[in-house]
Amino acid sequence: MSGSIEPGSGGDVVIEATDLARTFGEVVAVDGIDLSVTRGEVFGFLGPNGAGKSTTIRMLTTLLRPTGGSARIDDHDVVGSAAAVRRIIGVALQDSSIDPLMTGNELMRLQAVLHGIPRSEARRRCPELLARVGLTGAADRRVATYSGGMRRRLDLALSLVHEPGILFLDEPSAGLDPTSRLALWEEVRRLNRELGTTVFLTTQYLEEADELASRIAIIDRGRLVREGSPEALKATVGSPTLRVDVDPVFFETTRRVLADFGPDRPAREGRVSIGLDGGAARVAEVVRALDDAGVPVTHLELDAPSLDDVFADATGRRLEGADE
Amino acid sequence: MSASAVAHTEGLGHVGGVALAICGRGMRRIRARPTLIMPVLLMPLIFVISFTGAFGSLTRVEGYGTDNVFNWMAVYAALQGAVFAGVGGASATAEDLENGFFDRLLLTPGSRVPILVGTMAYSALRSTIPTTGVLFVSVLGGLSLAGGPLALLTVYVATAGMAAVFCLVGLAVVYRFRTMRSMILIQVFGFSSMFLSTGQVPIHFMNGWLHAVARVNPITNVLRFARQGFLGDLTWAMTWPGLVALGGMSLVSGTLAVWQLRRLAA
Amino acid sequence: MRPDSATGLRLAGAQTLALTRRSVFTEWRQLGNVLPGIVFPLLLAAVYTHQFERVILLPGFPVVDSFLDFVLPASLVQSVSFGATEAGTELARDIENGFFDRLRSSPCGRLPLLLGRLGGALVVAAAKGVFIVAIFLAFGAEIAGGPAAAVVIVATAVLLVLAIGGLGQVLAILTGSQEAVNATFPLVFTSIFVSSAFFPTNLMSGWFRQVAEANPVTWIIDPIRRLILEGWSWSDVGQALGVPLVISAVTVTMAVVTLNRKLGAS
Repeated sequence: MSGSIEPGSGGDVVIEATDLARTFGEVVAVDGIDLSVTRGEVFGFLGPNGAGKSTTIRMLTTLLRPTGGSARIDDHDVVGSAAAVRRIIGVALQDSSIDPLMTGNELMRLQAVLHGIPRSEARRRCPELLARVGLTGAADRRVATYSGGMRRRLDLALSLVHEPGILFLDEPSAGLDPTSRLALWEEVRRLNRELGTTVFLTTQYLEEADELASRIAIIDRGRLVREGSPEALKATVGSPTLRVDVDPVFFETTRRVLADFGPDRPAREGRVSIGLDGGAARVAEVVRALDDAGVPVTHLELDAPSLDDVFADATGRRLEGADE
Repeated sequence: MSASAVAHTEGLGHVGGVALAICGRGMRRIRARPTLIMPVLLMPLIFVISFTGAFGSLTRVEGYGTDNVFNWMAVYAALQGAVFAGVGGASATAEDLENGFFDRLLLTPGSRVPILVGTMAYSALRSTIPTTGVLFVSVLGGLSLAGGPLALLTVYVATAGMAAVFCLVGLAVVYRFRTMRSMILIQVFGFSSMFLSTGQVPIHFMNGWLHAVARVNPITNVLRFARQGFLGDLTWAMTWPGLVALGGMSLVSGTLAVWQLRRLAA
Repeated sequence: MRPDSATGLRLAGAQTLALTRRSVFTEWRQLGNVLPGIVFPLLLAAVYTHQFERVILLPGFPVVDSFLDFVLPASLVQSVSFGATEAGTELARDIENGFFDRLRSSPCGRLPLLLGRLGGALVVAAAKGVFIVAIFLAFGAEIAGGPAAAVVIVATAVLLVLAIGGLGQVLAILTGSQEAVNATFPLVFTSIFVSSAFFPTNLMSGWFRQVAEANPVTWIIDPIRRLILEGWSWSDVGQALGVPLVISAVTVTMAVVTLNRKLGAS
């Protein structure tokens, strides 16, 4: 892969996994993955539900012991020097792990004590962080009264109390409405831009990975199947996708005609998809060929390669339309 | 990454600070939702009222040792309540584990033992509420303070100790199984351990296997220690076995809990 | 038309049976829930038998060979009471997770819906009743009324569960919350202690005695106890079966009425 930021080349590596694996009894959740993330990157870990994303992030954040391989965070081993790792990472886990009976303020102060931040320092930092995520007004309300978006933002603020250089976000925008999602993305970008925070995020949303991450790894069934910058990954798929809807009677004819224009791609029922060699310039040619073959086209579209195409290319399945 | 944060995650100050914060969090939860304390308060009150009401005529049996049944039952109800409250403290951790909040606590740099100590302290502190309730009802029922005000102190020491011990037992199980359901097991264990002791009648009333079990049950010593001031004067002979029993049970349950906490990240 | 109503009745019967089977299965799959209701009463009976040997000599105590005979009705009632609110909690669970709506949208009558949910609890109660009586007999208890009395005793326990279960269902329909239904368990649990279950009311005194004598649990326990200690008597059989039967008629009717009112007349 020819990404602009190659793992291991240039910049110092702060997250490094070597043949990392985890099994639960017979079930292999993570099947030996290699990763390296350089300082200042926003790294997206993309995959469907149950692909092993959460298991991986739990191992990287010392919450789960690997059953194979190793991982180092800023040169500290996640097993041998777990405490040192915990000191330099911030973590916001799935399902907003916060106590609904406490207020935002109380949780912030508890978090500060847990990280051994002096009281005077905490007094300054907590309101600052709450303001940053827009929760100043709600700081003394119980978390149970917060909306999903507010909980996520509080979760983020909690992860930042000790000013970590590396931030882990597990499915940061799962279950959020579009507005809250945009606000959260903006905050993550700002952290990365202004403080140089390295961000490792897992997601099952293509858009999230595309928008936020400068580099992406795609995980499927516990194994990494692709890795690189979004642009580079899309470039590997090459040509744009042409989708043609026709009446079932003309299905085989259409396939035959289109076979001359590029390789077949996975598509839904009643539709023929190909990677169109030569791109948009050849659309007119395709239409003419179909017309010559006597195929009435009901719908035709041309899409630039997406991460979904990358995923489909790697796994033969589509991520889009998978459940929430 | 600020250097100051590193410096403060080691040492006794940090350990105490975290334990205190965890304990404070528990008390704050009670303030936020007072109904949380209701079962813990009601259970021993029901016990003291039911057992004194139903078994009031025990005092007429030769050798019971007191003419007011409250003098015997109050301590039993208070300790049973403390066991219940202690396991309840561990249940709060089960809840944290189930909803993911515990992950946040586990991400604390430095030792995780203060999390355990804080939860235990919270359980012990919280147990004073049902203990006070039971003592209040018992005084209304004519509890005699034969041993002076110190008699009350022994009850508070014993209940706080038992709450701590059963919180630790509960934590060991919660850390292992990570579910709220497993707490039922520990409640049954707690109730049974109390029943298999001199809770309701003196040891010489018992026969057969029950006599043998109550004889070696460390809780018998704790009951004797906490009850002495209502039956007569406080004596060292009645005191030290109770304290040793509490210490021993804490040591065993604490070791178990720490061991399971260490395994938690596996 | 007659054939129609006959088919309808058969259908309702089949539906009730199918739902009963489902509720028995769910009980079976949560066997852990049944255990406390067996272990706890047996432990209590074992402990009381060994600590109250001197108590049965008190003037006014019924003439018994052992406290074991005396405590049998208490253990039985206590054991089945553990699962009694289950019919309510299970119904509340169905309502909470929407399964009840699915059942309701099927062509299934309302009475089968409720009875089916109670059916599981009744089968479990009968099984527990037989088990408890068998254990007591194995440990040397005697039932003076003979095998027929044993059957009556178990039947009484089953009817008691029907009565409590109906009440639990009323609450479940009104609140739709498992927690609310569960909250009634301590009430049931306490009402057994404030009755003649563990001690004769004539040896109690004051307001406690008055409450215990007015407690329906006492009205059920006393005739069962006479069947065990004294022998067969039709009037005791009538009282033992009649009291819970009347109460369950009231509570089950209340449940059906509540459900109809909640859903609106159809």
